[in-house]
Amino acid sequence: MMNIPAYLQPGDLIGITCPASKMDRPVAEFAAGVLSSWGYRVRIGNTAGMHYHNFSAPDEVRRGELQEMLDDPEIRAILFGRGGYGMVRIIDQLDFSRFCQYPKWLCGYSDITTLHLHVHARLGIPTLHSMMCSGITSLTVQDPYVESLRQVWRGGDIHYHFPAHPLNRQGTCRGMLIGGNLSLLTNLSGTAAAPDMARKILLIEDVGEYLYNIDRMMMNLKRAGWLEKLSGLLLGSFTASQETDTPFGQTAYEIILDKVKEYAFPVAFGFPAGHQPENYTLKLGVPYTLHTGEPCFLKEETQPAPYHDHHPALS
Amino acid sequence: MTIIPPYLKPGDTIGITSPGSYFSLEDAGPAIAALERWGYRVRTGSTLQTRFYQFAGTDATRAADLQQMLDDPEIRAIVCARGGYGTLRIIDRLDFNRFYLHPKWLTGYSDITVLHAHIQAQLHIPTLHAEMCIDLKSDTRDASAFSLRRALRGDRLSYEIPPDAANRQGTARGILVGGNLSLLAALAGSPSAMDTDGKILFLEDVAEKFYHIDSMLYTLRRSGRLSFLAGLLIGGFTRLKEDDEGPFGQTVQQIILDKVKEFDFPVCFGFPAGHQHENYALKLGLPYELTVRPDYCRLAEEAVSGF
Repeated sequence: MMNIPAYLQPGDLIGITCPASKMDRPVAEFAAGVLSSWGYRVRIGNTAGMHYHNFSAPDEVRRGELQEMLDDPEIRAILFGRGGYGMVRIIDQLDFSRFCQYPKWLCGYSDITTLHLHVHARLGIPTLHSMMCSGITSLTVQDPYVESLRQVWRGGDIHYHFPAHPLNRQGTCRGMLIGGNLSLLTNLSGTAAAPDMARKILLIEDVGEYLYNIDRMMMNLKRAGWLEKLSGLLLGSFTASQETDTPFGQTAYEIILDKVKEYAFPVAFGFPAGHQPENYTLKLGVPYTLHTGEPCFLKEETQPAPYHDHHPALS
Repeated sequence: MTIIPPYLKPGDTIGITSPGSYFSLEDAGPAIAALERWGYRVRTGSTLQTRFYQFAGTDATRAADLQQMLDDPEIRAIVCARGGYGTLRIIDRLDFNRFYLHPKWLTGYSDITVLHAHIQAQLHIPTLHAEMCIDLKSDTRDASAFSLRRALRGDRLSYEIPPDAANRQGTARGILVGGNLSLLAALAGSPSAMDTDGKILFLEDVAEKFYHIDSMLYTLRRSGRLSFLAGLLIGGFTRLKEDDEGPFGQTVQQIILDKVKEFDFPVCFGFPAGHQHENYALKLGLPYELTVRPDYCRLAEEAVSGF
């Protein structure tokens, strides 16, 4: 039986913490105001607004606050303030034993990928790939992307349509969705948090990377066994990819397609997720159907999969 | 058992190829002159005359050029023209069967770390971490270039290293492995990820952001590559970049020491190898003794017997 965190009820408490880079407190306060307008209570942690070099706070302070929010049974979801860098510095010191007993929704992306993968590979508990406080602003608050977070918290099943990209490899597949930021995924290669990728749909996005580095990281995923057993591949945005002095000769999407050309699974480009305002909330660690021909859709499976998946979350 | 490629004799042929970024035949002139002045014959590969965007030819071209030099029994050493990026894209196309039967010295650093690591992981044949054509001047009095010459002709290598206040003292004996941190991280979890247990690990890198150095060291640590080292030898970490948001808050020495603080092997900073003027040759895959004392640091190649 899958250990799915409870969806949120009006009046439930949401915790906000900054486990990685620093963020100004008003950003958390604005997001908290929006969450309050949705009927939730919010507790903003001290790390929101703290500065320690580029981190919000020293490792021990960030870890301590996240640990406290993981353990507090009253907090039903944790919305991270922002990503940046820092989760990998505290992940091995976190104790997930109470979280496993009383799972809650962990919501974020980018640097939070390290936490998503750890929770999926080690604990088999779904998490949310979603925007964070930094994405909830006066400009975005009415967007369907912010609204998607509200809908998922309320327990709505995910069913997104999105335009077919010309590079898509057409097909339909079923599998558990996991993944996130490419840089953080490659950082997990060879570690105990590297997941079994059999029958998974892998989500990948990234921001601000050199194209040669995207190539190098995709080579890592391929050679470390992330790609060959996939059911499908779902690409979010590769925002602000950079060239060196000499053009690389391929776009980020072409680089990625090249790395999976000897496999047959469906591939969809341009899903609205990543470092951009168009960032739909996705439950990670649950099964979906992905259709990559026009019209493309990603639909959460509410019925048990017709095959045996060895992922602990389904056993 | 370690199979050591035969050292070079005067008149032996050295092949030059570029498995990563492009490098022109004209730019290889000084390096060719230097190698010829040392008494070797030089054969340049097709990749010194081809280019595909930033690469020295397409993947197929670069792989074929290197393969041909790996297989050619007349070529006794391969000096890579430069690093850049691209060796990772061709490593799985290479067939090392003939190379394994008739090993030769493969020379380079930076992007060539892919070859060093893969050959160490799969074949256990020593390779040479040293200057490439892009570094070599026709003036062979340069000490870094001379160390390459000494390595190729079979001299036992021994270097005194200026003591660094951040060093962690001790003595280590083990096989020297390693190279460029970014490439070692890119090999994590792959068939080219080498076993580092009981080894002396050498690391260098260039032009990376501090947070990225931090995250890559976590990858090595979390994949168990730092737990059972005999010692850690740190080369140049040059032209590192701060994040747009501000300084990382730790020096590279602090970042590195933090990752190995629960272990007690010696750590030696400032070995003159990497993306910098002083880049001394290191035979990877052979045993060394690393001595780290407050007033005296030395890396000395040991005899192979006993390993």
